[in-house]
Amino acid sequence: MTTDTGNETGRPPGSAGDEAGPDNERGGAPPVDPDGRLARLWSDANKPTLLMVGVTVLLFAMLGLASPDFLTFANLSNLATQIAPIVIVGVAMTFVITSGQIDLSVGSTIAFVAAISAELLVAGLDSSLVIVLGVLAGAGWGLVNGWLAAYNNIPPFIVTLATMSIIRGVALLRTEGFSVPIDNRLLLAQIGSTDVLGFSIAAWLALVVAVIGAILLNHTRFGQYVTGIGSNEESVRRAGVNTRRVKMFALVLTGAMAGLAGLLIAARLGSGSANSAEAFELTVIAAVVLGGTNLFGGRGTIVGTVIGAVITGAIANGLTLLGMSPFLTPIITGCVLILAIWLNLRGRDIAQLTGHLLGRRE
Amino acid sequence: MADESPLVELRGIRKSFGAVTSLAGVELTLGRGEVLGLVGDNGAGKSTLMKVLAGAIQHDSGEILVDGESVRFASPAAARRKGIGIVYQDLALCDTLDVASNLFLGREPRRGPFIDRAAMHAEAGRILRDLHVRVPSTRQEIGRLSGGQRQTVAIARAVSTQPDVLILDEPTAALAVAEVEQVLRLIADVATRGVGVILITHRLQDLFRVCHRITVMYEGRSVDNALVSQLDTNSLVDMITRANATDADKEAASDH
Ligand SMILES: Nc1ncnc2c1ncn2[C@@H]1O[C@H](COP(=O)(O)OP(=O)(O)O)[C@@H](O)[C@H]1O
Ligand SMILES: [Mg+2]
Repeated sequence: MTTDTGNETGRPPGSAGDEAGPDNERGGAPPVDPDGRLARLWSDANKPTLLMVGVTVLLFAMLGLASPDFLTFANLSNLATQIAPIVIVGVAMTFVITSGQIDLSVGSTIAFVAAISAELLVAGLDSSLVIVLGVLAGAGWGLVNGWLAAYNNIPPFIVTLATMSIIRGVALLRTEGFSVPIDNRLLLAQIGSTDVLGFSIAAWLALVVAVIGAILLNHTRFGQYVTGIGSNEESVRRAGVNTRRVKMFALVLTGAMAGLAGLLIAARLGSGSANSAEAFELTVIAAVVLGGTNLFGGRGTIVGTVIGAVITGAIANGLTLLGMSPFLTPIITGCVLILAIWLNLRGRDIAQLTGHLLGRRE
Repeated sequence: MADESPLVELRGIRKSFGAVTSLAGVELTLGRGEVLGLVGDNGAGKSTLMKVLAGAIQHDSGEILVDGESVRFASPAAARRKGIGIVYQDLALCDTLDVASNLFLGREPRRGPFIDRAAMHAEAGRILRDLHVRVPSTRQEIGRLSGGQRQTVAIARAVSTQPDVLILDEPTAALAVAEVEQVLRLIADVATRGVGVILITHRLQDLFRVCHRITVMYEGRSVDNALVSQLDTNSLVDMITRANATDADKEAASDH
């Protein structure tokens, strides 16, 4: 019996049955204990996420000391733009991982949407239409992933490993590997170069996505079922929920957000390339897991994901400022991913995780 | 029940999982306000039968009648709409969700598109209080509760849907004596209100306390059926262990 909220009234556990009358049952009511508020906040708080806040502060202090340019507004604004795609996709990935799934195809979807939308712009389509199509194309790939994973019971790890290759392959085939320039007078290019209140539109969009994601995860039935499915899918199914649809929709979310990120990356670079966002899925998964979302599912935190994205982004940004080779970044990302998983496992072993990802079923 | 149809009637229910035949033609009836004890060895198929009745799995053949109407539950939601409530043997809780979220899983109160958490916790508190269920807080994660507390929350969830049929699959396995008493009182209580209850348990004394009738299952079949008033402990044990079944393999002929 756990009593760490300190709310017990001192009756021994197991004495639940005595019911001399409703009036002496005060202790039987789930108490709304005013003194328990702080304790409750503490017990509700995601400990790994709190730890990561501390790590972030430390990291920023260290990078600030190492490089005087790091803590300038210009650089922090630049950092926000750099991490925007990680946050946007990471928020959706939080839903996917919390529901006990994984999506390895997001980097490929980004490249696909970046390349195809640049082509559509060259073909003369209006920017606003291209933006809508780009997000829909991403969602479409997500639908393919979701249908295969949720409705055909193929482990999402396998499905998205395959579509990761297919989606980028289609984009490479169409563009023959060339990057397609975007005319900088077009609205999409303008989006990539416009600042609002000192921050890029991408950064603001990332903030909006994070806020909506947090509301969706914590305050809607969808978010509740995503968490429940990650915890015990069969229980949620037996409660009458269409769990397949929920799982599929989570993968549609990562697809759509990868589409949005693809548009933003193409807008920023002024071109769309089927070679962009290589290994992006690793960065995103590292950010999500680093933030405290449980790799086994059942526990997810949007705030944590944002923090995770800030940490991975700040490391890459700091390395550049310190004049180190940009080729260090993938090495660091890999190390961060291993560290994050190690922190995340907390007692469970890696064999269990592999079994989980490869779809051990009930 | 001469002309009035029973609350639930199962006819010739069969279910196989691949090569394993779990249900090989089960007959079962349940009347309004009746408490039916469903007994049998482990592996007899009791839980599987109840999952069929609750829509959690679909049977291969046979007929389910609720209020005389033939139904086929495509999902747990369909069964719930027909007034079937169940406490699964494995409880079917989500460990990382809190008590209130588990109580209202699949039917969360909403304000607009959002879960009305305040209402949900208030209502959860009221439900648990009414059923004298004690948990530290409705915001406590279910995974951090004791086995007995988890079980009482699962029972509270089933009862709070106000079902016409309440299925309890070994609901007292993890409970302390006083809590068992409470569950037995609850069963008697809902039965007097006209709810039909199916109780699966290995505790013979509980069967005598609350059940009106006993149906025995053996290797996927319903093999015996008797009124509790006509049984004593010895004859019940004989029934369950099928002490007299050696002479002739008496089928479910005596079921009506
Ligand atoms: N999902 C399943 N897959 C395969 N076999 C199953 C499944 N569910 C139940 N069974 C088998 O059906 C039989 C009946 O099980 P169960 O209904 O749980 O029995 P009881 O509840 O009476 O102990 C057992 O032999 C069990 O192994
Ligand atoms: Mg059983």
